Amino acid sequence: MVTRLKKSWSKPTRARLSNLPASLLIGGGLVGFLVCVALLSFVWTPYDPITIDVRNRYLPIWSDGHILGTDKFGRDVLTQLIMGARNSLFVSVVSTLVSLVIGTLLGLYVAAAGARLQNIISRGVDVGVAIPGILVAMVLATAIGPGNAAAITAIIIWFIPVSARVVIGPTMQVLSQDYIEAAFGYGRTKWFVLFNHVLPNISSIIIVQASVMFAAAILIEASLSFLGVGAQPPTASWGRTLKEAQPLMEIAPSLMVVPGLAIVIAVLGFNLLGDGLRTYYDPQQARKR
Amino acid sequence: MVFALLRLLGGDVAYILLGKEATQDQVIALRIELGLDRIWFVQYFDWIGGFFSANLGTSFSGSYEIFDQIGQRLVPTLLLAFGSLFVSMVLALFLGTYAALNADNTKGIATDIVSQIGTAIPAFWAGLILVVVFSVSLGWFPAGGYVPIQENFLGSLRSIFLPIVALSLGITSVTTRFVRSAMLDVLNEDYIRTAMARGQTRNRAVFVHGLRNAAIPVVTVGALQLGNLLAGTIVIESVFVIPGLGQLLLSAVNGREVIVVQSVVLVILLIILVMNFLLDIAYGLLDPRILDKRNGA
Repeated sequence: MVTRLKKSWSKPTRARLSNLPASLLIGGGLVGFLVCVALLSFVWTPYDPITIDVRNRYLPIWSDGHILGTDKFGRDVLTQLIMGARNSLFVSVVSTLVSLVIGTLLGLYVAAAGARLQNIISRGVDVGVAIPGILVAMVLATAIGPGNAAAITAIIIWFIPVSARVVIGPTMQVLSQDYIEAAFGYGRTKWFVLFNHVLPNISSIIIVQASVMFAAAILIEASLSFLGVGAQPPTASWGRTLKEAQPLMEIAPSLMVVPGLAIVIAVLGFNLLGDGLRTYYDPQQARKR
Repeated sequence: MVFALLRLLGGDVAYILLGKEATQDQVIALRIELGLDRIWFVQYFDWIGGFFSANLGTSFSGSYEIFDQIGQRLVPTLLLAFGSLFVSMVLALFLGTYAALNADNTKGIATDIVSQIGTAIPAFWAGLILVVVFSVSLGWFPAGGYVPIQENFLGSLRSIFLPIVALSLGITSVTTRFVRSAMLDVLNEDYIRTAMARGQTRNRAVFVHGLRNAAIPVVTVGALQLGNLLAGTIVIESVFVIPGLGQLLLSAVNGREVIVVQSVVLVILLIILVMNFLLDIAYGLLDPRILDKRNGA
């Protein structure tokens, strides 16, 4: 007689909110908040981001009408912050997505290719990973001029080998499974197998990696615009706001604290989200960390 | 590669230097003067040859000898990079061990949270905050600038103290997290149990036997962090106005000094290579088995 499986066996209980890792909830919350703020900037900002108001320069935090005060041009700091979130997310989303797609394709291809090509490309990837993104950005800025384009291209160039490297190992692991051999035996082409059998199995790794790369991209974007190589005026950017605040640290220290905190919150959010996702997908492994 | 990238996208340096109003004749004349009219591979070998024979010529604007400039600016950058690498590796080893030993109680969790936040703080912001607190308010350290070591040893230390702290913060945090997970693995090893069975305390067992083993992944992570470290150095130099390679690079980028940019980038890549090599040696010292394996024994 066939006994019926218990219901909890055949159908995994859906994860309840309270069962999710805390880092996933906090990170997700921070990231969600950030995305909302950036989207909000398209329809509404407290003040116009570029209008200069000389009478209201250097207002402190909690001033009337300017919760976070104003900068040396009398621009509202909160508005600058919101516009900065938009720029920061724009740069990191574009660069992360483009490099993830290219890097994943490259990684899949390399993992499925012969040992010789693997060796050559892996060496190249190792070299690529070692070159700091900021250096690439500097070289690009010399060539095509500073701006978001240079920043985005540099981050993409830097991230492609990073994401390829993350994909190669797990792909090779999946490719050694029996069901892959079965799929090939069935007459499936290489790319069909890679997309339909390998990709779903490594998708969790890619999602976690995306989150970590978002965090890194936000940090680089801030560094680049701080150096004056990233977004150019009048585009608001957290890094440049910090740069402009540096000479004013004795008159208006709050100008320097606020954008820095924004960067920390954004990076922390994506890092926590990545950590949380990792725990969520692989609780066994994560407990050790 | 750097050379190729710059040449492919480079635009016309002579044109940029002379500005938009330059006549065609002026542009061509300047191009010949700077040697930009030659075929690319002649330019390339001229540059690489010059790089290794200590003669890179003067910058396009003609204000300084490139090779001498790089030489002068190498020392502060190296001090910053190696200082931070050393400080953060040692600190991370102890913080991570501490976090692993206290993994189940509040002390460990507090260390975790601090290191998580530390990873998110950009080095340049940490630098700015440090300047506000320790230079502007307390006046303990200079807000910027660099005192050469040969002039005043203590003054030199004072001038690079804050930059090293700012730079180490992020790298220490990242590495601490790796040490912690490595140490948690080590704590489950048989040799720790054996040492404790012989009557050693847990702490003693960890410090005598565990630390060395946990240090191996630290070296791996350290090698991966080198790029970040040098990138951070460039930014930190800008915060503290330290006349290092980063500042030279930045001014060269703004002035479109192609040869200076590619030379400085090459030097920075060489520094990363050398550090990688040193960490490789550290591997061998920490775990002699790795050397044996490599030698095919």
